[in-house]
Amino acid sequence: MSGLPVSALTPSPTSSSDLTPTAPRLPAGAGRPVPPDILDRLRSIVGADHVLVSDGDVEPYARDATPLFRSRPGCVLLPATTSEVAQVLRLATEHGIPVTPRGAGSNLAAATIPEHGGIVLVLTRMTALKEISGDELLAVVEAGVTTAELADAAAAKGLLYAPDPGSRTVSTVAGNVAMCAGGLRGLKYGVTRNYVLGLEAVLPTGEVIRTGGRLWKDVAGYDLTRLLTGSEGTLAVITEVTVALLPMPAIARTGVAYFPTLAHASRAVAGVIHDGIVPATLEFLDNRCINAVEDFAKLGLDREAGALLLFGDDGTAEAVERSLAIMANTCEREGARGVTMARDIAESEALLTARRCSLPALARLAPITMLEDATVPRTRLAEMVDRIDAIAARHNVVCATFGHAGDGNLHPTIVFDPADGDVRHRAEAAFSDVFDTAIELGGTITGEHGVGAAKRPYLERRLGADQMALLRRLKAAFDPAGILNPGKLGS
Amino acid sequence: MTVAGPQGAFSQPEQEPDPRQQPDRKPELGSGSATATPRGIFDPQTLSACISCGFCLPACPTYAQTKLENSSPRGRITLMRALEDGRLDPDDPTLQREAGLCLGCRACETVCPAGVKYGELLEQWRDHQWRGRHTPLVAGGLRAGVRVTAALAAGGLVRGAARTTGPADPSRPHIMLGCMERSLYPGISKAVLRLVPDADVPSGQGCCGALHAHNGGSVEGARLAAALGQTMPGTIVSTSGGCAAYLDHQLGHGRVQELSQFLVARWAADPSSKPRLRPIMIDGRIARIGLQDSCQLRNGMGVSAQPRALLREIGDYVELPSAGTCCGGAGTYSMLQPAMSQAVLAPTMVQAQEAGLDYLVSLNVVCQRQLATGVKRSRVPVQVIHLAELLERALGD
Repeated sequence: MSGLPVSALTPSPTSSSDLTPTAPRLPAGAGRPVPPDILDRLRSIVGADHVLVSDGDVEPYARDATPLFRSRPGCVLLPATTSEVAQVLRLATEHGIPVTPRGAGSNLAAATIPEHGGIVLVLTRMTALKEISGDELLAVVEAGVTTAELADAAAAKGLLYAPDPGSRTVSTVAGNVAMCAGGLRGLKYGVTRNYVLGLEAVLPTGEVIRTGGRLWKDVAGYDLTRLLTGSEGTLAVITEVTVALLPMPAIARTGVAYFPTLAHASRAVAGVIHDGIVPATLEFLDNRCINAVEDFAKLGLDREAGALLLFGDDGTAEAVERSLAIMANTCEREGARGVTMARDIAESEALLTARRCSLPALARLAPITMLEDATVPRTRLAEMVDRIDAIAARHNVVCATFGHAGDGNLHPTIVFDPADGDVRHRAEAAFSDVFDTAIELGGTITGEHGVGAAKRPYLERRLGADQMALLRRLKAAFDPAGILNPGKLGS
Repeated sequence: MTVAGPQGAFSQPEQEPDPRQQPDRKPELGSGSATATPRGIFDPQTLSACISCGFCLPACPTYAQTKLENSSPRGRITLMRALEDGRLDPDDPTLQREAGLCLGCRACETVCPAGVKYGELLEQWRDHQWRGRHTPLVAGGLRAGVRVTAALAAGGLVRGAARTTGPADPSRPHIMLGCMERSLYPGISKAVLRLVPDADVPSGQGCCGALHAHNGGSVEGARLAAALGQTMPGTIVSTSGGCAAYLDHQLGHGRVQELSQFLVARWAADPSSKPRLRPIMIDGRIARIGLQDSCQLRNGMGVSAQPRALLREIGDYVELPSAGTCCGGAGTYSMLQPAMSQAVLAPTMVQAQEAGLDYLVSLNVVCQRQLATGVKRSRVPVQVIHLAELLERALGD
């Protein structure tokens, strides 16, 4: 595009691209094939078997779990060690080749789409579970260990890895850190960032840094651990993660309450918090989600209910019993039609598993499921839910909503068949309104899925121009050649 | 929008790519685009059902081996879409390789919240991929070989499978002989006759067509299944999970029952029909018995509790961690993909040894062959046996 006059890059104010005020700064090799001599050097670094270049071999890495985004990389590398990652990045910086780090590719914000080609750096071969320490209450894992593998290994030693993203069986720990994944236990336990003690990461220029470590208290220097958490692969490539663990709670129990509407369920959530309970789980699903989940999981959910609230807690037997009794009472007070308790652990786990499947289960309704994760203060939840309904009606789209009600974290999901005229534009317009509404209510455009390429046009609405400029200066400090996941966040 | 910022290393300032306007971000055909021209290889609705969430990755035995997106169900569906869209050449080597490297075990279907019918997509893919000269030699040879009913009958006769009893009597359950089984393991059908004494063994049984359908010949597979259905009106009892699941799909639910499914239902409905089963003893103790599920039976038909219930009655049943995972036999797979087939089998061999099994039970003749080869090769002191034959031993004399 170097030949274009600057005016061509300055669209009219009515164009949708005026949402992003500044062009991303791209490395020299953006959008170009990876030169053959560089491919040879990459092969000598990671081994020829771990460099994919043919059209067919790289095609599956052209996308992640985000609908409508696809861009084929020039090559795919699967390094096995931190040293290999460092050598690859040094070479990429030297030659200005874009590098998009990737774990399992389960993110929902198009954060791992290699929009400008180049290298997709897949960390799924780095799968060592290096340490689980009950004495220090921590675990050290390589980037490609899945969240469920970490949680299971911790559980085997009587320990809890608290972050619980819906994709836990698939997603990698480093991917969770890069996206600051949330999940079903956010209210009581927080999200990924609350558990990251230390990182080993490779800078785009090839230096290996270790941030934080094994300490709960450590204020030496800027908190780079937190900065890299949620940096979406734009600042460094995370190769090893040290996470905090907790003692496994004695018991966990779950109950289900059915409400006439999502707003009723939202008021029950506010009531629970008001009662002084901070439970492990407060998840809700609207009627469309209930039916989609029931189609898959066949748990005997009430298909007629307007909304379902899944509530649960863990801890000592007495505390959990008390907590669930109060929550059940609150639900009834707020108009629940029926409240039932899971009989045993298996039933509890089945309910949670079904909730985690909400999004893919919604795919049964139509070919495209566009999902967002606007988040508002808990006290504005009922209002937000009603306004989402109004927005969907105004734009004439079918919207199913579920989410982490306790965190004010909503997943309005618009399902559509792209063959249906301009529905995609209506869906985008609806989401634009949803983001504006969330911000108006004191919320954010994304609670846990990240910005990626999908929400990039809306980021400045949330951050403002000054913070956007700071993001870009930070990015330049980490990544002078602009090779890491170019085009995203502070590029 | 302005082109600002230091140029320095950023020699190529570009317009902010608006993802929702970029030409490359059109919805994929396979995910429902209304604009491009599909090649017509796949059923569009089936192909559009996947949303690429990746929940299938941990269920896929080949992904567990390679950790490559290409050899995961989600990655393969992306490849199928690229084929359908014309974004990949039909002869692309990756397409050819991955169509073959998939076991077809359908474990992904059981964990897919979106309900993607992966098994159907794979059949459509192989129909296209393995057409004409692209058909793997072994697959083509077998497809041709089991087409001839008379040859099957002769093979079974020579090896001593259960004798046929003439045309099917619709009032009696029919024992299906299976084309591999009757020559490789003729004792199985004889054992079934003792467990289901009122069954007949209709003559003129051909192949059920599963082998064809799973190897790029779904039209011929469907034809053979229909023919077999006509030869045997009424309830068909199969000792092969693969055949049972395919016929269940082709002939309609309920026409075909796998042996354990049939026995558990019948003995529950009419306890007087149930023979006395005695525990299998080894050196004066009750035998330790493990199971290898048949993938088509478990993932395609949802039958997994019944064989376990039967085995618990006749021995000390041990659930191997890999019992529900493909053994790598997978139809013609062990012949077409020997290296991956052995890699997929390896954990089962280790587990069988560690569990100190006396018997490792199979529900499908292909699994049986794979397991028998495996224990021989890795010298695991366990006897591989079909469920029917072990149950027969529990009957005593």
